[in-house]
Amino acid sequence: MSLKIRLIILFSALSLANLLAQNPKKNTISGYIKDDSSGEYLIGASVYLKETFQGVSTNTYGFYSLTVPEGEYTVVVSYLGFEEYTQKINLNKDFRINVSLKMKVMETKVFEVVDERIDKNVKSTDMGRVELNVEEMKKLPAFMGEVDVIKIVQLIPGIKSAGEGNTGFYVRGGGPDQNLVLLDEAIVYNAAHLFGFFSVFNPDAIKGVDVHKGGMPAQYGGRLASVLDIQMKEGNNKKYKVDGGIGLIASRLTVQGPIKKDTSSFIISGRRTYLDVLAQPFVSKDSPFKGSGYYFYDLNTKINYRLSDKDRLFLSGYFGRDVFTFKNENSGFDIRIPWGNATASARWNHLFNDKLFLNTSLIFSDYQFESNIEQSAFKFGVFSGIRDYNAKMDFSYFPNIRHQIKFGANYIYHRFTPNNASAELLGTEFDLGEEERLYAHEAAIYVSDDFDVSEKLRIHFGLRGSSFTHVGPFTRYVKNEAGETVDEIKYNRGDKIKQYNRVEPRLMMRYSLDMKSSIKASYTQNYQYLHLTSFANVSLPTDIWIPSTSLVEPQFGQQYSLGYYRNFKQNMFETSAEVYYKRLENQVEFKDGTLQQDQVKDNLDNSLTFGSGRAYGIELFAKKALGKTTGWVGYTLSYTTRIFPELNLGESFFARYDRRHDISVVANHELTKKWTLAAIFVYSSGNLLWMPTSQYFFEGNFVAQYDTRNNFRMPAYHRLDLSATYIAKDTPKYKSSWNISIYNVYSRLNPYFIYIDTSGNPVDGTLKAQAKMVSLFPIIPSVTYNFSF
Amino acid sequence: MNNYLNIYFKNIIPLILSFLFISCERDIDIDLGDAGARVVVEGAIESGEKPRILLTRSRGFFDEVPTDSLDFITKTLILDAVIVISDGTVTENMVLVFSNQYPFLFYTTQNMIGQVGKTYTINIQADGNTYTSSTTIPPPISLDTTYFGLNIFNQEEDSLGFVFLKYTDPDTLGNAYRLFLRRNSYPSFLPPGGSVSDDRFNNGLTVEFFSGNPNPPFGNFNTSEDFFFKIGDTIYTKFCTIGKNEFQFFNTLEAAVSSNGNPFGVPVLIKSNIIGEGGTGVWCGYGVTYDTTYAQ
Repeated sequence: MSLKIRLIILFSALSLANLLAQNPKKNTISGYIKDDSSGEYLIGASVYLKETFQGVSTNTYGFYSLTVPEGEYTVVVSYLGFEEYTQKINLNKDFRINVSLKMKVMETKVFEVVDERIDKNVKSTDMGRVELNVEEMKKLPAFMGEVDVIKIVQLIPGIKSAGEGNTGFYVRGGGPDQNLVLLDEAIVYNAAHLFGFFSVFNPDAIKGVDVHKGGMPAQYGGRLASVLDIQMKEGNNKKYKVDGGIGLIASRLTVQGPIKKDTSSFIISGRRTYLDVLAQPFVSKDSPFKGSGYYFYDLNTKINYRLSDKDRLFLSGYFGRDVFTFKNENSGFDIRIPWGNATASARWNHLFNDKLFLNTSLIFSDYQFESNIEQSAFKFGVFSGIRDYNAKMDFSYFPNIRHQIKFGANYIYHRFTPNNASAELLGTEFDLGEEERLYAHEAAIYVSDDFDVSEKLRIHFGLRGSSFTHVGPFTRYVKNEAGETVDEIKYNRGDKIKQYNRVEPRLMMRYSLDMKSSIKASYTQNYQYLHLTSFANVSLPTDIWIPSTSLVEPQFGQQYSLGYYRNFKQNMFETSAEVYYKRLENQVEFKDGTLQQDQVKDNLDNSLTFGSGRAYGIELFAKKALGKTTGWVGYTLSYTTRIFPELNLGESFFARYDRRHDISVVANHELTKKWTLAAIFVYSSGNLLWMPTSQYFFEGNFVAQYDTRNNFRMPAYHRLDLSATYIAKDTPKYKSSWNISIYNVYSRLNPYFIYIDTSGNPVDGTLKAQAKMVSLFPIIPSVTYNFSF
Repeated sequence: MNNYLNIYFKNIIPLILSFLFISCERDIDIDLGDAGARVVVEGAIESGEKPRILLTRSRGFFDEVPTDSLDFITKTLILDAVIVISDGTVTENMVLVFSNQYPFLFYTTQNMIGQVGKTYTINIQADGNTYTSSTTIPPPISLDTTYFGLNIFNQEEDSLGFVFLKYTDPDTLGNAYRLFLRRNSYPSFLPPGGSVSDDRFNNGLTVEFFSGNPNPPFGNFNTSEDFFFKIGDTIYTKFCTIGKNEFQFFNTLEAAVSSNGNPFGVPVLIKSNIIGEGGTGVWCGYGVTYDTTYAQ
């Protein structure tokens, strides 16, 4: 047994002993905290006792529970931007206190962070966790006026943009597939529209964003690097409300209101780009390209129903698609490429008693990519995707003020569709093999406790047990050493092909040095049973998800982190420094020389090779949380390497995600009641590219020879964005504002990609290879009009 | 088929992006350091012919190709190699000869001629290293039919088109093919783009495919007249069987050549059958059959 597991057991025993030894003369205060104006539950609102400074935060459903010895207390409920609520109670029995907080009239803007109960960042065991408030995001500069949750998340140290035009983001040296992105608990497999220029999250439909980049609690699993937990709004249960925005390339409209006042509500929110519509008048009716275009849209809906004081039901759904069409009548070309996500979740909250809260969820999520090409005699189609059916039970148990226990179980049925192709030429269909699908069961159970060992020491420990089974139907193409198929093994529906059972301990602790500073440390161990395979240098919608199989072992990650946190000036300034070290095993890449068409009539995993990774770095963060000017500065120094026995001659190489320096500065200034100014500056070392080192001719063709992987770093990326928000009207009946954003103010031509252009002819001596750098966006101003009534 | 898949996968994303964005592009200088020259073997042995091996050196990626032909020859060609060929029983030293056709300067034998079913091993001493490889000439498979057809992608076309070819793949899995074409009075056979195929998708079936006119070595097509065959042309076909490793070389080579300049693709590493430090290229045996098609 490893030392870590022994430690975990020791802590569990300690915690249990503590629970059993509790004083029976204790009572519980519990309830829900809501926004008075809309009836939306507030996540992460703080509830504490003035006398003891002890307190808790509300969970994702706005619920809290606090058990303390009998006595006289003053209960204080606070949430950023809301009036504080206080109530004196004589705690001689259990109390249910449901509070509706009122919005502050004269707000002192505090950026981003919710719940500053004294100094949550210093006091909690959370490491590498950030909560973001969507309303505040809307004041920041936005690319083409479209507020993007994921872009703002990337301004946090340790979370890195993969660059313009990239779907993914990288967290502490992990790949884009190692982030768990959840929308109302449903997994979103591809969070990007238009190759990452926009995320799929419509800001009007979103309540909050909770990011874990290190120290992942045990209720989350299945990914190595991070969790991005996004909650949708429930809908106003007091009155009907319409919000909208008109931007340069897209418009949004949200309608919400009560179905039955104070009991049930709905929200429906849609967004669509109209580049294609705007372009229509300029494309002549006779143009051969008529019918070409691109658009994306998404739709969020949610209904919630309060069945009783103890039971609530939520139904939510998301549907979004990107559609690209290209037509050229002259050449008979007709291309249609749709892709996107769909998710649906049904959740039931049940309170067994004041201390035990249960959420049960049934979740569906789906991602599909499709591509159809026709050119007179030739037809070609490709499709791929992943679909999940997911059931979850999550219990929260609040035995006393010193403990917060969570436990639960989760089961997912996965269906994977790797690239399936069909082709037809001159009326003859090609035999490209049977449609390939892979099926798997994923299950997990977990338990965790957030536990005050003493005044100074707080520990979060968790244990997660997970299991993954690849099941039939499946055809395994068995290869010999030369890579030839020597056998085909057929598995029937439900046949167990390969099972993995794994244990994932999690441990985080905080030790307070004084009221203003603390030291935190964490160790987490994660397994990931899904792998994203990519043929490109960047992440694209064509990337394929595959499960762990008999050939592909689950990805394994360990992360150690250590941090120092300190607040200054009554928490006006928050600072932190964190170091981390990560070990990654069973990482996948394609074998050298693999061609994309090799996957036809074969198992994709036959083309994979396996290796390990290391990542380490330091993240510095300083934030001004209060005052007219708020914002933060973050800096990250990091290293990420990979080593694969079969790649790069077995020598270690820097991963594509390796980014040496990363700086982000965010500032928001409330000039007057009507005007707010904001700025974002980012700087990051360039992405690594694998460039050819030599060239030769073969049969008169120019051939590029590649050697060491990722041997070239592109020029650095940096950019300044500015914005001004003007509140045009702010009456109870109608609110409207203008947001003017300038993206890339000094028009830096940032590298998007580099390609090599070979021109000329060796016969006359004019042949030359020239590297060309492509940049996408120069300075782009935009205006968005937002309204709400 | 391979060729279509490859074209699709390599080009679809750049197509979408270029359609959507007006982007800015500029030249940049890149210093990648010195990788050291590789020895490139371009070796073929056809049934009924003497073997031919062209030996060249690779250059630094952004090095300019020497304009002076003598300079080009001395820097690029390896003219002082010692090459020994063996068919298992007979061994022969190869000699350097000159021809007025590509590859101009190459090594060949004085006596040995390729025979179907035999395995040929080469041992090359060049630039201080030893390189070895072996290849077998597979039994040839004749084309069932060849004919000329107008460009199927343009309904209004009345003179330009492709040569269509049909063959029947044997029942055994693992056959691979390479096509060469020669048009009218052009002096030599050339491989068209997508010259190789194997029987992974169509084992034991009758396969029909088509090809345009091949690109000449070092040349680029200028007009559609170059790319298509035309009514009135005489089209000579050389249809060859090749081994599995040799297929893999050409398949990866063609993918690499067609993805040259694609910024999104992960580089294609070429699977060579040449063994030895820094060696690349291929030593390939061909089982050859010939046909002639008159475009009418």
